[in-house]
Amino acid sequence: MEYLSYLVATGISTGALYALVALGIVVIYKATEVVNFAHGEMFMLGGFFAFTFHVMLGWPYLPSFALAVALAFAVGVAVDRIAFRPLMQRRTLVSVLLVMIGLSFVLKGVARWIWGGKGDYLTFPPLISPEPLSFAGIMVMSQQLVVLGAACAVMIVFALFFKLTRAGRFMQATADNPKAAKLVGLRTDRVYMYTFGVGSAVAAAAAVLMAPLTLLYPDIGFMLFVKAFAAAVLGGLTSIPGAVVGGFLIGIIEQLAAGYLHTAMQEVAAFIVIMIVMIFIPTGLFGLGRIRKV
Amino acid sequence: MRVLIGKRAFLFALFVLLFVIPWVANEYQTFVANLILLYVILSLGLNLLIGFAGQLALANAAMYGIGAYGTGLLMTHFGLPYWISAPGGVAIAVISGTLLALPALRLSGIYLALATLAFAQFTFWLMTHWTPVTFGAGGFIPPPIDFSPLPVTQETGIYYLSWAAALLLYVAAKHAMESPVGRAFVAIRDGEVAAQALGIDLLKYKSLAFAMSGFYAGVAGALYSGLLGFVGPESFDLLQMVLHKAAVVLGGMGSVVGSLIGGVLLTVLVEVTKEFKFSIEIAFGGLLIVFVLFQPNGVIVFVRRLLPGWTERLHYVPPDKESEEDLAAAPDPDPDAAPGPEEPTRAAAAGPRGGDPG
Repeated sequence: MEYLSYLVATGISTGALYALVALGIVVIYKATEVVNFAHGEMFMLGGFFAFTFHVMLGWPYLPSFALAVALAFAVGVAVDRIAFRPLMQRRTLVSVLLVMIGLSFVLKGVARWIWGGKGDYLTFPPLISPEPLSFAGIMVMSQQLVVLGAACAVMIVFALFFKLTRAGRFMQATADNPKAAKLVGLRTDRVYMYTFGVGSAVAAAAAVLMAPLTLLYPDIGFMLFVKAFAAAVLGGLTSIPGAVVGGFLIGIIEQLAAGYLHTAMQEVAAFIVIMIVMIFIPTGLFGLGRIRKV
Repeated sequence: MRVLIGKRAFLFALFVLLFVIPWVANEYQTFVANLILLYVILSLGLNLLIGFAGQLALANAAMYGIGAYGTGLLMTHFGLPYWISAPGGVAIAVISGTLLALPALRLSGIYLALATLAFAQFTFWLMTHWTPVTFGAGGFIPPPIDFSPLPVTQETGIYYLSWAAALLLYVAAKHAMESPVGRAFVAIRDGEVAAQALGIDLLKYKSLAFAMSGFYAGVAGALYSGLLGFVGPESFDLLQMVLHKAAVVLGGMGSVVGSLIGGVLLTVLVEVTKEFKFSIEIAFGGLLIVFVLFQPNGVIVFVRRLLPGWTERLHYVPPDKESEEDLAAAPDPDPDAAPGPEEPTRAAAAGPRGGDPG
């Protein structure tokens, strides 16, 4: 029982981070109908940016966090300008995906080139003392609690951004009906650009939160992308609450698979979830039924 | 003059050159030439699936790996000769490829891409972690291949086997794509509902496209295990997937002869990149971006301009019907976009660049 609660607690705290990355995937998908293949690389770059400021330059954690998120926003905008905007005109999904795959490899290569020389795995110093806490008989790492709290805070900020700000409402309107949004005078091109930026910024926030718990390496992006995609698709790919629930579920599922089946299962649980969900429940838990368009 | 420097002459010269390479080149050059033959087979197979049938599947590297592992493992575990294990490995790849077509019947676009990506990563994970069968991350060395009635070494034997396979598979792909099968593929690519309305059986042709590309990748894999004499998971990772995509895009999506050129160019570029110790990820990710953005028809466009006798149909990447509604805000696409395969060559060639010197 204690083991189980430990696994679930760990699953929830990593799941919160998957949920953050999945949020970005869902927001971008809702607006553009494209899954950003380079989304994992946004996560990876966010982590490396924070590492540069916090560890290499010795800045405090919070400014590093803010700057990493801002830089990731800029990279997200660049993804829009390179991969999405020019190809959207030609309306070719295959081309968009191919360019995004190419971009994700370029970013990975650049990260390996810049940060790879400092050892394959970079460690990020912990935020607070790594003493475990005990809560009603459940052992949790205090670090995990901080991460969980911060991740929830980011999610709330994100939700408020969507509900309250003009930019957030523009994004909602564009995702809802791009044609109508354009008709009422929204500059949808610009909204798409912000959407990519915001999605990347959230992924970077997740990375900066996760960095103290894990190691940073150039290939981490793809791993996180697959897990977050599994979360997003489990939640239906078009539902923001679905992405959050999916994130927590994937976190817990992979911890349970690792704890009770085999440790190597942790890596592969997300792939299996993707395949099962896609084949048996393609609309996910919260998704709308997909409409077949001619 | 036109006939002399046309496509046929070019292909003839290419295959003759590849035929004589083992006699005139050193060991390394022969190895690279053999890799060229394998990449030609791989990009032909992938182009059938992506360029013609329009199914964005990301599992080609996994099929390649399944072919190589299947062949090597049948030789190692059961002591079967290469002549039996290689078709066995190919058969396993074809079966897995056909199974992948099942999700393809329900999924399209991004969903299909990610389902196949998940499958590919699952395969990679099996290669790395199913140690009792696959020997884990370290890989394994299959037993040497005996070409005994023929007086050739393993290297030469595999080389000419690859040569013959590449030639046969090229001719097969060319003819298949000019037959009703190819037209059905293109119809599915350009619009599934329209294709169904024309009486095209989606189940049959999608499965066929996946099976064919599985077959091509499986053949390349079976040859690869013999070529390298070593099979390990790192040969079939995501980077490999990107290389295959780059070969297809480089040569030209939807052009059979383009895949031939793409395979040759890609292998040479990979070796050059390695030689200069440049990042393969940046080089080929960048190549993919540049070509999709600026020349979606691949180098075949430039080849046409240089060789006046070259007649090759070009297929623009079709507009994506599924997302059309939502992206309708964008201005109309190029009116020349997506000529069907039946369109006269000239009309397709005139294209936006209008650069047909012939």
